[in-house]
Amino acid sequence: MGLKSYGDSAESGGKVAGHARLRRLWGSDGHDSLWPAFSRRLEQYIRDEPAGLSPLVANPYLRHWMSKTRIDVYSDDARSIPLSMGLLLYVPTVLLANQLGLLLRYPENGSSGLFLPYAVLTAVLVVSARRYWIWYLLTGVAAHILVHWPQWSLTWVLVANAANVARAVTAAVLIRRFLGFPPRLDSIRALGLYILAAALLAPAVGASIGATNVLLHHVEPTYWPTWSAWFMSNALTGLTLLPALMLLLANRDAWSRWRGHERIAEAIVLALALILSAILPHVGSIGAALPPGILFYSPVPVLIWAALRFGAGGATAALTAVTFAAVWGAFGHTGPFGSASPDERLLVLQLFVLLTAVPILCIAVTSSAKHAVVQLHRALLASLHDHIAIIDGRGVVLEVNQAWRRFAESPDVPPYKRVLTGENYLDALTLAAESGDAGAARVLPGVRSVLNRVRNRFEVEYDLDRLGRQERYQLSVEAFERADGGVILRRTDLTARRQAQLEFEEQRRVLTHLARVSVLGQLSGALAHELNQPLASIASNAQAAQILLKKRPPDLRELDAILYDIVTDDARAARVIRGLVALLRRGEARLQATDATELLNGVLELARTELITRKVTATTSVAPDVPRVFADRVQLQQVLLNLILNACEAMNGDGSGDRRLELIVGRESRNTVRFSVRDDGSGIPPHQMERLFEPFFTTKAEGMGLGLSMSRTIIAAHGGRMWAENNAHRGATVHFILTVAPAAERESEIARDIATEVAPLHADIHVSQEAVAMSVTSTTNA
Amino acid sequence: MNLERPQGQRISVAIVDDEHSVRVSLRRLCEALGLDATVYASGRDFLNALQNGATRADCLLLDAHMPHMTGLELQNSLVESGSRLPTVVYTADDAPEAQARYVAAGVREYLRKPIGGEELLAAIERAIAPRGD
Repeated sequence: MGLKSYGDSAESGGKVAGHARLRRLWGSDGHDSLWPAFSRRLEQYIRDEPAGLSPLVANPYLRHWMSKTRIDVYSDDARSIPLSMGLLLYVPTVLLANQLGLLLRYPENGSSGLFLPYAVLTAVLVVSARRYWIWYLLTGVAAHILVHWPQWSLTWVLVANAANVARAVTAAVLIRRFLGFPPRLDSIRALGLYILAAALLAPAVGASIGATNVLLHHVEPTYWPTWSAWFMSNALTGLTLLPALMLLLANRDAWSRWRGHERIAEAIVLALALILSAILPHVGSIGAALPPGILFYSPVPVLIWAALRFGAGGATAALTAVTFAAVWGAFGHTGPFGSASPDERLLVLQLFVLLTAVPILCIAVTSSAKHAVVQLHRALLASLHDHIAIIDGRGVVLEVNQAWRRFAESPDVPPYKRVLTGENYLDALTLAAESGDAGAARVLPGVRSVLNRVRNRFEVEYDLDRLGRQERYQLSVEAFERADGGVILRRTDLTARRQAQLEFEEQRRVLTHLARVSVLGQLSGALAHELNQPLASIASNAQAAQILLKKRPPDLRELDAILYDIVTDDARAARVIRGLVALLRRGEARLQATDATELLNGVLELARTELITRKVTATTSVAPDVPRVFADRVQLQQVLLNLILNACEAMNGDGSGDRRLELIVGRESRNTVRFSVRDDGSGIPPHQMERLFEPFFTTKAEGMGLGLSMSRTIIAAHGGRMWAENNAHRGATVHFILTVAPAAERESEIARDIATEVAPLHADIHVSQEAVAMSVTSTTNA
Repeated sequence: MNLERPQGQRISVAIVDDEHSVRVSLRRLCEALGLDATVYASGRDFLNALQNGATRADCLLLDAHMPHMTGLELQNSLVESGSRLPTVVYTADDAPEAQARYVAAGVREYLRKPIGGEELLAAIERAIAPRGD
């Protein structure tokens, strides 16, 4: 009714009115805030209420909405079989149910061995989008009525339909919930839940309604025999045809990948074996000639074969074939179920199939679960770029990945690295070490120690000349839990990483240098002045001397004083130039014990004129007990120059003549020293505090904003840290902390270590101190 | 070579420079050139001497670049106090706008370091020469 009226109104311009009502309901346009909340609830509703589609269809507003957003809401669609395919499968089953049923029905008692419509409808529902369900159900009911009414009474037909629908929906909803969509039968737990749903609960629901129907229409006088007949045939269907069909439909994508000829050939051979072992004994005279025991068990090996090689789908397909054959044989009074009374025969047959199906399915499921694990493990190994070899307690290679194999088969590889699955790595390594291979000799003790569980892990880095270039590898040997011990060897190609690191270091060096040059650029005027002062004095003194020399007698004492001053000024100029050259040179960083006072004096000498120009008075205070710090002098000067210039900038804005800059050095802890550069400028606005050390952050018109970020990077590279804070009174202070220089003998040791390091300044000095070319990390077994 | 005043007196020059070595070397040069020279380490020192009447300089030789009170500031305060002492400024900064600022402040001569003897003498001569104004 609702549907009809909505359609009419849409045709006659009522669409506008409909939209107006929508707008009233959901706000100014159709996409107001209510909309997403509503659509979420609706989606949930559809998901949680599989059969509850009728109110959805009846409501015109929902229909309108669905027509617009159908695809978005039903993400199920992509995984669903098409509606046409489902209908094509299901409708003929309903229409021909009688004819098919005859094939499987025991004529004596009218009971069916298998119930086809249950399998087909449930399988189709399980692999279809939920919005198609209503169509299957409606079409199924319509087809059923068409076939059976008015031959049978309407109430009979309707209740029978109710039984069909209730059973299939119960099974489909539970299977979807337990096995997902598309369904996966790949664990014992999933199998258990599946049996509960499809072979126990759903058949019970169907049998209860069906048996009631029979009772109501006085077809049979008793309830339980009918119930048990219905239940058994449906349970049997649920363990054979239903899973076979369901998995066939769910894995339809996999069919196209079935390219391997071997697998197709195996399937054909399996089918032939099934015919020989199961179908022939049940049909015709062969069965009669053999003892029943053999006939019972003859198909079992074939069924196990199907389960092991073709999973649950293959196993249930084979079981279905066996069941068909058994039912057919029993119908023709041949085969092992041909004798005895009809009821007895049917029960024996059903029990036979049920009792065979469960273990066979268990085998299938565990086998495919194991297969999945193996595939996962292979995929995992194959996806690794590192060369992996798994080795047992005696040193025999259990498995290698593709990367290991490729490396082993490539040219220029020493023989002990060519070991593949089944060969003994330890023996090959020992042989190589004994015949003088230095690399093998270095690795051997490590591998042995992990194999013997003296330690859990061993790592070594080494160079390898291969294919005309020097490559660098890291080999790690790690113990793994296994009954008879064993290790995992992992060889990582560090060549590219090391190259990248070298390039990174070089770039950082260039950048640090550029930043330094840029600082000196800012100071260029001041530095020129600084050089000009002694030069001017020298010039004046020399000229005065020239004139004095012409006097008779020349004033030798004055001339001596002049020459002394010239030498002093020259030395001063030379000192400035040396400082400049050191800052301008692009050299390797060199960590050394550095005296704080000396450092500050050097920096202040360079910045002196700049400070004078900016009317800044700088004071230094170095605590008496401050030890020497471990730093690259040039880079540290760069940092201090940056901080001083920044402080000057900060004090630029205020008009008062008194600008004070304090450089304070004190001991922070036993092995750290704190440097502080304190200004009395305008301070750092709180919102800029966070961004102060970001690169390219600047409040100045000139300058790139690299000074502070570069300074922090340099300090971090020294293993220290840098931070800023506002002073209590006025201005701000930037602090940084450096490590105290180690004692002399330790220093040379560290200097040697650092020389062997690729990067002179590692991100963490403490780490690089410990790092040696060949590092052995070990954790002793507790 | 000696520059004599008409009265036969030696010319007296006051040198103001914060740098000891520059101060001393300039004094030596001036004395070698036959001038009397007195040195002051800051603009403040010189102003004090001027106020106390402790200087009888004919010409002020002034470093542009000094802490606390720059050459320009000293010149400005001299002009403010009504002094008509001729000033020669020397600096390492050869930016034209710097020179323009000094000239605007009434500086007579502007020299770039390092200063040659002849050049210095000529500048002082020009600076103390009577002017039309």
